[in-house]
Amino acid sequence: MNTIVIEHLARVEGHGGITVEWDGDKVGSVRFDVLEGARLLEPLVRGKRYDEVAPILSRICSICSAAHALTSVKATENAFGVRVSPQTELLRELLYLGESIESHALHIFLLAMPDYLNYPSAVALSADKPQAVLLGLRLKKLGNLIQETIGGRAIHPVNVLPGGFGRAPGIGQLMELRSALIEARKDMDTVIDLLAMLPKADFCHGETACAALLTPRLGAYYGGDQVMVADSGERTVLPASGYKTLTNEESVPHSHARHSHFRGKPFMVGSLARLSVHPRLTGRLATALGRLRLQLPAVNPMDNNKAQALELVRDVDRALDITEQGLKDGIKDERPVEVHPREGTGTAITEAPRGLLIHSYNYDAEGRIVGADVITPTALNAASMELSFRRTVEQCAERDEAVITKRLQMVARAYDPCISCSVHLVRRQ
Amino acid sequence: MTKPSVGIFGLTGCAGDQLVILNCEDQLLDLVALIDVRDFLMASSSNDMACPLDVALVEGAVLSQQDADKLRAIRNRAKTLVALGTCAVWGGVAAMDRGKDRQALLHDVYGDTGLHFDSLPAQALHEIVKVDLNVTGCPIEKEHFLTAIANLLNGSMPVYPAYPVCTECRMQENNCLLIERGELCCGPITAAGCKARCPELRVPCMGCRGPANDANPASLLTAFEEKGFNREAVATRLRTFAPEGAAQ
Repeated sequence: MNTIVIEHLARVEGHGGITVEWDGDKVGSVRFDVLEGARLLEPLVRGKRYDEVAPILSRICSICSAAHALTSVKATENAFGVRVSPQTELLRELLYLGESIESHALHIFLLAMPDYLNYPSAVALSADKPQAVLLGLRLKKLGNLIQETIGGRAIHPVNVLPGGFGRAPGIGQLMELRSALIEARKDMDTVIDLLAMLPKADFCHGETACAALLTPRLGAYYGGDQVMVADSGERTVLPASGYKTLTNEESVPHSHARHSHFRGKPFMVGSLARLSVHPRLTGRLATALGRLRLQLPAVNPMDNNKAQALELVRDVDRALDITEQGLKDGIKDERPVEVHPREGTGTAITEAPRGLLIHSYNYDAEGRIVGADVITPTALNAASMELSFRRTVEQCAERDEAVITKRLQMVARAYDPCISCSVHLVRRQ
Repeated sequence: MTKPSVGIFGLTGCAGDQLVILNCEDQLLDLVALIDVRDFLMASSSNDMACPLDVALVEGAVLSQQDADKLRAIRNRAKTLVALGTCAVWGGVAAMDRGKDRQALLHDVYGDTGLHFDSLPAQALHEIVKVDLNVTGCPIEKEHFLTAIANLLNGSMPVYPAYPVCTECRMQENNCLLIERGELCCGPITAAGCKARCPELRVPCMGCRGPANDANPASLLTAFEEKGFNREAVATRLRTFAPEGAAQ
């Protein structure tokens, strides 16, 4: 019996590890270990007033804090029957894009790329290939500029309220954003070139079921309330309110982790899943897809790195469109829509940078939260990650421990896990 | 001159303060030329997990025995230990209502299996080890981090505002959310340094930077009561980021 234990997974958010065992051809136990402490924010938020919920629950995670805040206010608005203004919808989408640009740039260039080129970190990589690292930092900064402009802060946005924004950005701020986005567009060919040149990495090949939000416009992160699951050509649509059929957490016999399966199968969420569910790409994106040799629907979870690059190209374009629309139509100095609390349930599903994010709340008549349920992309991905770890061992014919150890870490990073997020769902000791 | 050795660590939290470090996009490569980052799991897979450190930067709160052991080990390695962010300095959101029955909360989320978890009520770093410098904020301000490093490189300690957010807000001539609009704004008792980011956006301060040294919570409670807020609602708001009695 051979065992590999990776105690501390590096270059990911949070504390996690990997354990795999095999005996000759037979792969035994495979685990994604979550080692984060339990903060118990869901029960702690109970009893808080509706306007305190998003600031508290955004603290689940820093990298996806805007996604948490936006999903949270949307769940609260759904519970109270609040409809926000078209301007708010547009600016929220822009904020979401900013977060995704920052998160993807951080992940692609600072966390994932060093592996492919055999460096321990982006800093080490920057000594030999400063161009790639500086490009990553520029795009990260752009994402943060968008988040600061719309959300008021790059991490844990303060301007996101139930009903709208505290204060909408000024025209001067949008003009600054526009210039930065126009500059960033010029970098997009280089992004695709750099990703297309990376050594091939297909360590965990196989059929991969995918789940993503069905959005009114292709590639949106925010908007829509149905989820599509694509599995071997079969497509199933689920309403947001029925999210529990997707997250029917199962107890795993060898531990007390709860994993998500759809019809008994693990599924993947995130960039690659989004592109697999909405594979119609045209123009510049179709060209980029060809250059990346990215196969859709997904058969290689490692391709999530390339899928994020493709989304970067699309997101910068879309962010520029929204900014230009804002400049053309003008931005009104709106106050948030008035919120009248009432007893009820509200659920919101959005696409966080790393996949489906669900917040579901129950409120009492005074607008105090009675129960909160938060399902994060990394928790949804946990079962799929373990399937990929298993395939990684199976597909490494020589069973070389050093090779398997490196590949397992690359596979884990390709899922872009956010372990702080996942902690309340998947936990092992 | 030998470069000071630095370790950057996260206990339990959202990794937001480490992300602020990575968000210093314009300074990051210059910064790592001035210091020798030996241990930074979030950014590197090549770490020396035992070497002595001139400076340890630690974010997150202590939420388990494992966190406490890790923190003590970091303290033993480090000449200077810096607490980064509200969780490390005050306990943060996980420490709100920390008098609540921990076992009941665990059972709530994880069922019976939760009762066996390694789980402690959230504690700030200074409740476990000696802390040499506190940099508060949820997350910390980029400029405060850079100031801290610049000072430590020069053998000095940075000085952060002891006055409340209210003072910064007044300097920016904002309309008062508490007095003029009757909103539950924690600006009068929260540590400044954020340039009154929230009130500047017409959003009441939630107190995410923890209490200001110069604050007077008793007079604020009275002001809130005069505005018609009940004491419990105010107390709940004030406890969101720093538990009661979490004085430094």
